[in-house]
Amino acid sequence: MPNMKLDFLKELANIGTGHATTALSQMLNGRLFQLVVPDAQMLPFTEAATYMGGLEQVVVGIFVVISGDAKGYMACVHPLESALVLVRLLTGEDKEEIDELGRSALQEMGNIMVTSFLNALAQMTDLLLVPSVPGLAVDMAGAVWESILAGAEVTHEVTVIRTRFSTEGESIEGHIIFLPDEEAFAKIALQLGLEEL
Amino acid sequence: MAKTVLITDDTAFMRMTLRNVIEKNGYTVVGEASDGEEAVALYKELKPDLVTMDITMPKMDGITAIKEIMKIDPQAKIIVCSAMGQKPMVIEALSAGAKDFLVKPFDAERVVESLRKIGS
Repeated sequence: MPNMKLDFLKELANIGTGHATTALSQMLNGRLFQLVVPDAQMLPFTEAATYMGGLEQVVVGIFVVISGDAKGYMACVHPLESALVLVRLLTGEDKEEIDELGRSALQEMGNIMVTSFLNALAQMTDLLLVPSVPGLAVDMAGAVWESILAGAEVTHEVTVIRTRFSTEGESIEGHIIFLPDEEAFAKIALQLGLEEL
Repeated sequence: MAKTVLITDDTAFMRMTLRNVIEKNGYTVVGEASDGEEAVALYKELKPDLVTMDITMPKMDGITAIKEIMKIDPQAKIIVCSAMGQKPMVIEALSAGAKDFLVKPFDAERVVESLRKIGS
């Protein structure tokens, strides 16, 4: 039912990006971020990587496994250029590559963004959604996908929320990827007041 | 004499951020732990006045570490600093013995306020 699907996507996009922007702003001392209206899609996972910029684009992915009342995966993926901007904003250091500190900063930022999203979703659905210790991968998108989905049973479509934040002339792009398993998907949809999708 | 603090977080970046805030406000960071297991070991060794504790960590999570530290020292003053702010988790941490729960991202003032309140 296309309308239900759209509602679900809109809800998730609003929750995800709203909280991500707030978290990012707070991490950067209240710097003001303007959020470009997010785009949300539900795609077969084979198409998701292409939608996000192609399998060969170098990206940074921070990802968690979700457990608790619902299971699944969640990730925050940035093109390398955006990740470098984030590292600069977070650490104050301008580097051409992502070094140890940069990785750590991105991991923490990704962790906070993903967990903020889960916290909001948990509150709305009254489900406990527990993120694992986050993993971080810097590689071509195809390889990052494999890291994110290692061991996953991908039967479902992936929800991909495209966001763009801009602040003082800088532009940061990112995709939030949400892949609940079959049961989790049904639980969340039900709790959000949506019937079978 | 400045109160001593043990920082626990699996991310070097967060340990660095916390250290800066804590030291700027007159406390001494005596140790840094990157997981719960290390936190427990360092607590025994250093006996800090205060502990900051992340929840989601490898090897031993923060809740387990809190319980282990409280066994060693029922007077331990542990402040949770975690992105994971869902209610059941907050309740679990406080029931385990934590004295406060700060949700990331937090601002410096909130951290200092908690240290002052719990440390006194």
